[in-house]
Amino acid sequence: MSKKIYEIVDKLPTGGLTVRALKTLDTFVPGQWNNLVGFDNTIKTVTGETDEAMVQAIGERAIALFNDKKQGYQSALWLYETVDSASGLLGAAALANRIGQDTFLGFLKNLSPKPEKAQTIDLAVKLVTEVVAFCKISGIPGDSLGDFLAALGDYSSESLIRMAALVSFDGIIPLGADFSSKALSAIKGMGASDLDDNQTFKGVKAEIPGGNDKAKLSFITESFESTKGWMDRFVSDHNITQSGLVDNLGGFIEGSKSKLDYLGAFLDMSVKYYEHTGTQTLARRLIERAVAEI
Amino acid sequence: MSFTHWLRRLAPLMVCLVLLVTACSSAPSKYDQVQKDTTGFGSPAAVDKKAEKGGTFNAFFPGDQGGYKVIPYQEKKGFAEYKLEQDGKTLAMLTISDTTGIPGSAEKYGTATQSVSGFPAVDQGTTATGVLVNDRYQVKVLSRDPAFTKEDRVAWLQKFDLKGLAQLKGAINPVPKPTVALPEAPTAATPAAPAQPKDGFKLPRVQLPRLSPSLQPAS
Repeated sequence: MSKKIYEIVDKLPTGGLTVRALKTLDTFVPGQWNNLVGFDNTIKTVTGETDEAMVQAIGERAIALFNDKKQGYQSALWLYETVDSASGLLGAAALANRIGQDTFLGFLKNLSPKPEKAQTIDLAVKLVTEVVAFCKISGIPGDSLGDFLAALGDYSSESLIRMAALVSFDGIIPLGADFSSKALSAIKGMGASDLDDNQTFKGVKAEIPGGNDKAKLSFITESFESTKGWMDRFVSDHNITQSGLVDNLGGFIEGSKSKLDYLGAFLDMSVKYYEHTGTQTLARRLIERAVAEI
Repeated sequence: MSFTHWLRRLAPLMVCLVLLVTACSSAPSKYDQVQKDTTGFGSPAAVDKKAEKGGTFNAFFPGDQGGYKVIPYQEKKGFAEYKLEQDGKTLAMLTISDTTGIPGSAEKYGTATQSVSGFPAVDQGTTATGVLVNDRYQVKVLSRDPAFTKEDRVAWLQKFDLKGLAQLKGAINPVPKPTVALPEAPTAATPAAPAQPKDGFKLPRVQLPRLSPSLQPAS
C-alpha cells in the first residue's frame, strides 16, 4: 500500500533518542532546528497560512505531488529512510528497551564498535545520499554536484541540522577531528569490492549515480572531495569538537564519555536522524511547492 | 434495577473496547479522500505531461537588487521557485508555475478584480498574491515574514519579466476571460471558450488535443 505522507509527518516523534541527540547540536548551531512535526502544523508554520480551507488545499496538493512517483519525492524519502536503517546494526527498539533497564556500560558489553573502514564508508555514503535525495527533492539533476554545493551554502533548519549531525555523529565522534581528510584518503585507497561489503552502501546503491560499483565509488569520492571544504569550514565556524559533542551527549547517554568508539556505534543504530530530518525537509519542500501551485 | 446497575458498570468497559478497536485501524483523516484519489492504478499524474519545463521559467525571475538576494530554491516540471532574502533572512518566496492540469489553479483568476502590469491578479489566503499570464502561467509572491506586506508582494510581482513569460505558449484549455484584457496575444486563440460557465469542473481532459496547433505570437 502506498505510504501516506500526511501520516508519516503526523507521526514524527517529538521526543526519544533521535530528537534528543539532534537537540544536543543546538549548542553549535543555535536556533536552527525546532523539530517541526505534524502535517497541518508544518503547513501552517512553513507558509504562515492560517485559513483552514487554504491549509486543506495546500495539504491536498502536497499529497498529490508526493503520490506521483515521477516527482521523485518517494524515492527521496526511501533514501533517507534506507540509509539510516541500513547503517544500524541492531533494531533501535530493542536497544531503547534496554536503556531504561541497565546502565549504558552494561549494554555496551554486547556491542562491538564498527571498524574504521566501515565507519568511513558510512560517512561517505550518507553524504552522497544527501546529494542524491536533495537533488530529487529540489529538482536539480542527481549528479549535479555544482548545484548541490551552491544549495548547501544556503541550507537551513532541518537540512542544516542533518548536515551538522552527519559531520558530528558520523564524522567527528567516530573518526576524530580530522575526520574529513582521514575519510577522503581512505576512500581514495578503496576499490569497488570494499563498497560491496558495506551494508549502508548496499542499502542505497541502486540510487547512487553510476553504472557499476566502480563508477559509483568514483561519484562518492568526487562528492566527498567537493564537499570536504564545506564540512571543514562548518566544523571550524561552529567550533564543533569531539569533547564538546561528547559532553552534550553524555547528558543523556550515561557512561559514554570514555567509550567513544562505542558511542559512535550506539548513535549509528539508535539515532535515525536522516529519516527524521529528511522527512521534515521533504515535507517543507512539498508544501512550499503546493502553496505556489494551487 | 439490577440491569441498569450492570449497564452502568459495563459502560466504561464498552467505551474502552470501542476506543481500542478504533485505535487499531488508523484514525480517519481529512486527507484520506485525496490519498485515495491520487494512489493506485490509473490515478492521475500530479503534473500534466504537457506542462512547461521548470527550467524555462528561470529567465523570467527578477535578479538580485540592492540588499535583496534572489536565490534558486526548487525547479521541477511545471514549477520554479526562488527565495527572496535580505541580510540572510527569508522575506518571501517567488514562484512561477504552469497551471495546466491543476484543478482550480487558473480558474480562480476568472473572477479577478485587480491586475498587475495588465495581468489578472488575486490574493490567495493571507500570504500570497499571484498573477496569471497567458491564461496559463501563475506567478506568485508568498510572504514569509510578517513585515513583507501585500504591497511588497505586488512590487515584486512587477519585477518579474511578465511580458517575456507571455511569449510562451498559451493555455491548453483556456478559462473564461477576466474583466481585465490581456495586453497582447492573439484573441483568436480562444474561440471555443466563451460559452463556459465559471466552474473549473467543466472541461474534462478530453479537450487536450488543442495544444499543438501552436498559437505563438511572432516574437
